[in-house]
Amino acid sequence: MENDEVAAAMSRRDLLRLIGVTAGSAAMYQAMSALGFAAPSPYQGPVDLSGAPPGASVLILGAGMAGMSAAYELRNAGYKVQVLEYNARAGGRNWTLRGGDSYTELGGATQHCEFDRDLYINPGPWRIPYHHQGVLHYAKLLGVPLEPFFQVNYNAYLHSPKAFGGKPQRFREVKADYQGHVAELLAKATRQHALDDAVSQEDQERLLESLRQWGALDRNFTYAASDAASDRRGYAKNPGGGLSARPIPSEPVGLGDILKSGLWQGIPNGDTFDMQTALFQPVGGMGRIGEAFGRELGPLIRYNSKVVDIAQDASGVTATYVDSRTLSDKQTARADWCLCTLPLSVLAEIPLNVGAELAAAISAVPYASAIKVGLQFKRRFWEEDEQIYGGITYTDLPITNIGYPNTGFFSGGKGVLLGAYIWGLNAMEFTAMTPPERVQRALDYGSQIHPQYRREFDNGIAVAWHRSPFTLGCFGMWSTDARARHYDNLCQIDGRIALAGEHASFLGGWQEGAVTSSMDAISRLHLRAVAQGAKA
Amino acid sequence: MIIVQRGRWRRGLAGLPVLLLLLLMQSGSGVRADDSSFTDTDDIGPLTGEQIYQHICQGCHMPGGQGAVGAGYYPKLAGDKKLISWEYAAITVLNGRNGMPPFALPAAAAKETRAVRLSDAQVADVVNYVRSHFDNKYRATVTARQVQALPHPGAGMAPAE
Repeated sequence: MENDEVAAAMSRRDLLRLIGVTAGSAAMYQAMSALGFAAPSPYQGPVDLSGAPPGASVLILGAGMAGMSAAYELRNAGYKVQVLEYNARAGGRNWTLRGGDSYTELGGATQHCEFDRDLYINPGPWRIPYHHQGVLHYAKLLGVPLEPFFQVNYNAYLHSPKAFGGKPQRFREVKADYQGHVAELLAKATRQHALDDAVSQEDQERLLESLRQWGALDRNFTYAASDAASDRRGYAKNPGGGLSARPIPSEPVGLGDILKSGLWQGIPNGDTFDMQTALFQPVGGMGRIGEAFGRELGPLIRYNSKVVDIAQDASGVTATYVDSRTLSDKQTARADWCLCTLPLSVLAEIPLNVGAELAAAISAVPYASAIKVGLQFKRRFWEEDEQIYGGITYTDLPITNIGYPNTGFFSGGKGVLLGAYIWGLNAMEFTAMTPPERVQRALDYGSQIHPQYRREFDNGIAVAWHRSPFTLGCFGMWSTDARARHYDNLCQIDGRIALAGEHASFLGGWQEGAVTSSMDAISRLHLRAVAQGAKA
Repeated sequence: MIIVQRGRWRRGLAGLPVLLLLLLMQSGSGVRADDSSFTDTDDIGPLTGEQIYQHICQGCHMPGGQGAVGAGYYPKLAGDKKLISWEYAAITVLNGRNGMPPFALPAAAAKETRAVRLSDAQVADVVNYVRSHFDNKYRATVTARQVQALPHPGAGMAPAE
């Protein structure tokens, strides 16, 4: 209340400048938060950067989601912005490989993507949860159309070579049977008075009725072949019309078999906050967002620029860079402030004069290993033969995922699957192979789930993130211990340099982490710039 | 090829570690953009230094220890003068360096970050392999006992298995 009255008496910008001059930027940040100026993470709308000192400049390193969202906001706020980018394209890990593209990984192997026109794979991020409002905001702002991403498909599979003779099981069957048996057991325990101490008599009645509904139990609280159970797990013969219409219920799998199979581990895949419906994907591939950002920022981005040195002094920051293709043609870029969004795996190897705490933080985060393999097939057999439209099959084979395209349903012609999405040790092993070997392995394993692979395979492409020249890894893998010791130090502004990116977030590996960390960092950089502007 | 010999090193689907992983993924600090709840990295089994190099290290350091240069770089191990110090090599494998992951985290921390765990003997083997290949001609071999005496990551955080 008090703030509001003061704010009414003088302009908010004047007030902030006054606080900044007298009390320093930390106090001003508090005041800004109280006044609703500073947008805290997670994303709550565009940051307010009003009052940028005339002529103030920011050098941004990296044209990924963090760098470009920052460049967009800072430019619009009146800052002079320049972005240096290693790649010849905008987007960073926001990236789509389409038919006709080429990709050369570290070590020199070049792959030519031979997918049909309009078919693609997203080597990096591929889905946007509905609550990632920062990424969604920029997609909308940039005019990038979105479509649904199916995290859960009840007709896709859960699979283990060690379960059910290696035969993939429909998600709906495993889920219904697991749920039904658990409900039956709990109902039995309730009726045998095992829960009398924990649940009142009245609540036991309610619990039993809820279990009957939740588990599709019959009137005796049994989970067995029935219309109710088939309505969850599917029928042996589906209901239809006419004389041949009568449905035949399916037979549930026994509890022991479900438990032994381990497939229950796949049931909660859509239950985590990040994976809950609705999720989205850009029409035409995730890279559409980065591409649109690149068009929007135009000449502000200098491509093919490899940063080799970052040095700050009392009045600004100088980055030295070379042409990333020839490693020659050394040049410098200078600005009052620097927002560095380079992955820590890269930044840790670039000379940089910052304090010991930030330096230690930069070197404290190993990068995750991850692999994606895209496979093009001559026809969409998963739709035509198995009625799987989008979504994901999970397996404990090293490929872990088979992702079905969430677009182009029922179209004739070819289709592209995500044939593998691998982490950890298996990802390291796939990385150590040549790209054709990776594709072959993905085919070998995937054909255990879809025997059509052999006959229908057309071509494939494999991206191993530790071989990515622009990131040298997939994303920063914080341990609880490293985060406790280094995270705050990583996010603090050091003189004139601030860091941003998914590595400076609690949303590791998500684009939303990049965007929200950038908004947070530029809000704080802006405060420093404003405070200094007032002093000048 | 490790992947061919799956039976030997990919144990059955152990429920407990996977549950633990799911729990970690759902906790605040463990939020990650992946959801492969089946993968475990518990035990890479008995591998020689050469196998470890070819299946893990060469993903970054490249076949022949050639290293690579992009926006950053992976050090070239062929002819690397730093390898004169076996301690340097072993400490790097144990603790990681910059973006390179540590390979001797305590079990819980390894699980959390999907790191791969090597035994002291395996670290010794892979150090010996690198120091005696790719034009590196260091004769002296390192033992598991010597590696054991070096600082390991997270010492004091959790008991090593």
